[in-house]
Amino acid sequence: MAEYKMESLKTFNYDRPVIEKGYANQTLCIDISDFVISIKPVTEKTKNIFIGGKGFDLWLLWNAVNSTTKWRDPENAICIASGPMGGTPVYPGSGKSIVTTISPLTGSVIDSNVGGYFGPYLKFSGFDALEVTGKTSKDVVIFIDGIDEKVQVFTAPGLPDDSYNLSAMLTERFAKGKPRNISVVSTGPGAKNTLMGCLNFTWYDLKRKRARYKQAGRGGIGSVFADKGIKAIVARWDTVKVKTNNPADPNSLKGVGKKYSREIVELDPKQNQMAKIGTTHLVSIMNDFDLLPVNNFQYGRHPEAENIGQEVYRRIFDPGYDGCWMGCTLACAHGVKDFVPITGPYKGTKVFVDGPEYETIAGCGSNLGIFDPHTAIEMNFYCDTYGLDTISVGTATAFAMECFEMGLINETDTGGMNLSFGNRLSALKIVHQMARGEGFGQIVGRGIREMKSIFAKDFGADPDLMQDIGMEAKGLEFSEYISKESLAQQGGYGLALKGPQHDEAWLIFLDMVHNFMPTFEQKAEALHWFPMFRTWFGLCGLCKLPWNDVVPEDNKETDEPAKVMKHVEWYAEYYSAVTGRQIHPDGLIRMSEAVYNFQRIFNLKMGFGQREHDNIPYRAVGPVKTVEYESRHERYDKQLIEKHKVDIAGKSTEEKVALLRKFREELYEKLKDAVYKRRGWNNNGIPTVETVKRLGIDFPEVLELLRAYGVE
Amino acid sequence: MMIRVNGKKHSWHEGMTIKDILKDLSDSHLYAVVRINDKHVSRPHFEKTPVPDNSEVFLIPMIAGG
Ligand code: SF4
Repeated sequence: MAEYKMESLKTFNYDRPVIEKGYANQTLCIDISDFVISIKPVTEKTKNIFIGGKGFDLWLLWNAVNSTTKWRDPENAICIASGPMGGTPVYPGSGKSIVTTISPLTGSVIDSNVGGYFGPYLKFSGFDALEVTGKTSKDVVIFIDGIDEKVQVFTAPGLPDDSYNLSAMLTERFAKGKPRNISVVSTGPGAKNTLMGCLNFTWYDLKRKRARYKQAGRGGIGSVFADKGIKAIVARWDTVKVKTNNPADPNSLKGVGKKYSREIVELDPKQNQMAKIGTTHLVSIMNDFDLLPVNNFQYGRHPEAENIGQEVYRRIFDPGYDGCWMGCTLACAHGVKDFVPITGPYKGTKVFVDGPEYETIAGCGSNLGIFDPHTAIEMNFYCDTYGLDTISVGTATAFAMECFEMGLINETDTGGMNLSFGNRLSALKIVHQMARGEGFGQIVGRGIREMKSIFAKDFGADPDLMQDIGMEAKGLEFSEYISKESLAQQGGYGLALKGPQHDEAWLIFLDMVHNFMPTFEQKAEALHWFPMFRTWFGLCGLCKLPWNDVVPEDNKETDEPAKVMKHVEWYAEYYSAVTGRQIHPDGLIRMSEAVYNFQRIFNLKMGFGQREHDNIPYRAVGPVKTVEYESRHERYDKQLIEKHKVDIAGKSTEEKVALLRKFREELYEKLKDAVYKRRGWNNNGIPTVETVKRLGIDFPEVLELLRAYGVE
Repeated sequence: MMIRVNGKKHSWHEGMTIKDILKDLSDSHLYAVVRINDKHVSRPHFEKTPVPDNSEVFLIPMIAGG
């Protein structure tokens, strides 16, 4: 291990408050420009409107930045919060943190939901949320010690850059013999040299005796962290029990938690076996339904997809308990032991890799035309250790590869690299270049939006074509599902507040496979309910997976099986038991609506958040090229004939591509109309005054902002 | 000559496919994916996927995605 020194720059002592019904009732604010540390109270009003987690983060960030703030500006804040239920050990999936900042990729608010112990440890140390502003040139480590009731800022020259080593060293350094008491948030050199940096949040694996990590991946939060000069933030807390979170009704909490845990233990082995294979089962399922992204989202299946599917990873994953929070019986956070990379600084060394999950396998595998499970693992390992988001890395590289194959860029532009689909070594080389901030990888690390303008300006590439095939919206790279054949999922991506990430709405199966929502109104209803309910998890410190990745056996007899209402009712019980506020399932949606609309208005404050910003590239809507059309010509021909009443006799594929495009783009615009109406927004996608009043977010600055956009 | 479907005994015959199992169910349209022992099989393959004798078959109620 590297030699390093730790020098304290600031120590701040405080009295830890008693946690009351899931809240510490205060926020920790650190300005690292001059090491000013302060504590702000959390008011009842803030709790009523913003609930916790993402809600608290957004409120802190809203007050920290102004409408002209850019991601590198010192006033940009990184906010981290769990939520009132965060840190409950008896209810599966209760250890999440939400992180927000102004994103380098989108220029607006980004939020990312992450496992690991940090959020709960922060709260039990006395803080519902952490806000870090300012910038320093010193490479600092922030230590929040809930046991000794102090916050310290250190410089630590000599600490390694990469997250893999750094997390392990800082865990050891602060553990005082109890490494499970530590959670480290850190990033790596890739975050410093790109706009797609992630944050790694650790949890300590007692059996394997190592710090494991999960990622707050999306939107370049790690790049903001690195730019601020933060090396790591460490939280220390003691043993966690139910009473640590001081719930209002511990018996009722234990009752509902036990039901849920038991159900998972009984049903997960009969259903998706996530405790054994994580989300890797999705690879073959997506492939079978023509939904697995292949070669930059051109195709939805590939004959070699089995090579990167669950059967292979089942053998590769190290068996054992893999819960990223204590007591999660779904325990899906698997890893690979003794993996030996074939490239980069860890070449030939045995490492432990956290992952891969479906998104990484699809993004850094099939979407790059790579069907080798070890390349996906190696990409996963280096992205994590360099602090890079595997989704943005995968999708951005896929775009560069298609540009290369189409001759929009050539080997001179890539610095001599052959970037054809399937080229494993080039894909890995790009990741290493990103970490060093050099070569063509440095350009890919700017993200697709910037790549499009660089390729057009410097390499003479066709901007219209790149607009169609560059899979980004709002500046964020798409996550890894083909949305072409599901209008509802096009909305799920395009109308998501932060950009095209599926965590707001994953409706492909319900829409395309089950055809549960044939009308616009039904799609709009789904694009209201699902984003709202999924938002709720992020307000409370919860993981969404246990809600609908395991479902009760009688679920199919319920009116709306997709909502898994039995679980929604248990969540309402759980919320009531922790906070003491009695709530009905509908009340959960209402809570989220306030925060959701506030985030939309936050986008508006930053100059976005209108109809034009909900546009998506045509590749997400339909076939751009004739080869894509031909790969599904039966489906497309049938649609043109039956749905759009077109006589296709004698029409060339180019003509059919153009016709289909016209129809599909119109449908997407109609979907926007229907969703805006359902959400209580005007035709430009802005919440109306009536909506903000109904939700209690009609603050003077909100009304003033709406007025500036003609909404009165 | 028997399999288990969602834990319940179910007769088996030579050449049986997943489609054959679902044929007897009133709610078969709900299942887009089933599992035979450890292997997930999706609807496009129901017709041609044989179910071996002694298999454990699980009807997966829903695929929730990411
Ligand atoms: S389901 Fe998986 S991601 Fe969610 S809390 Fe449990 S282990 Fe973590």
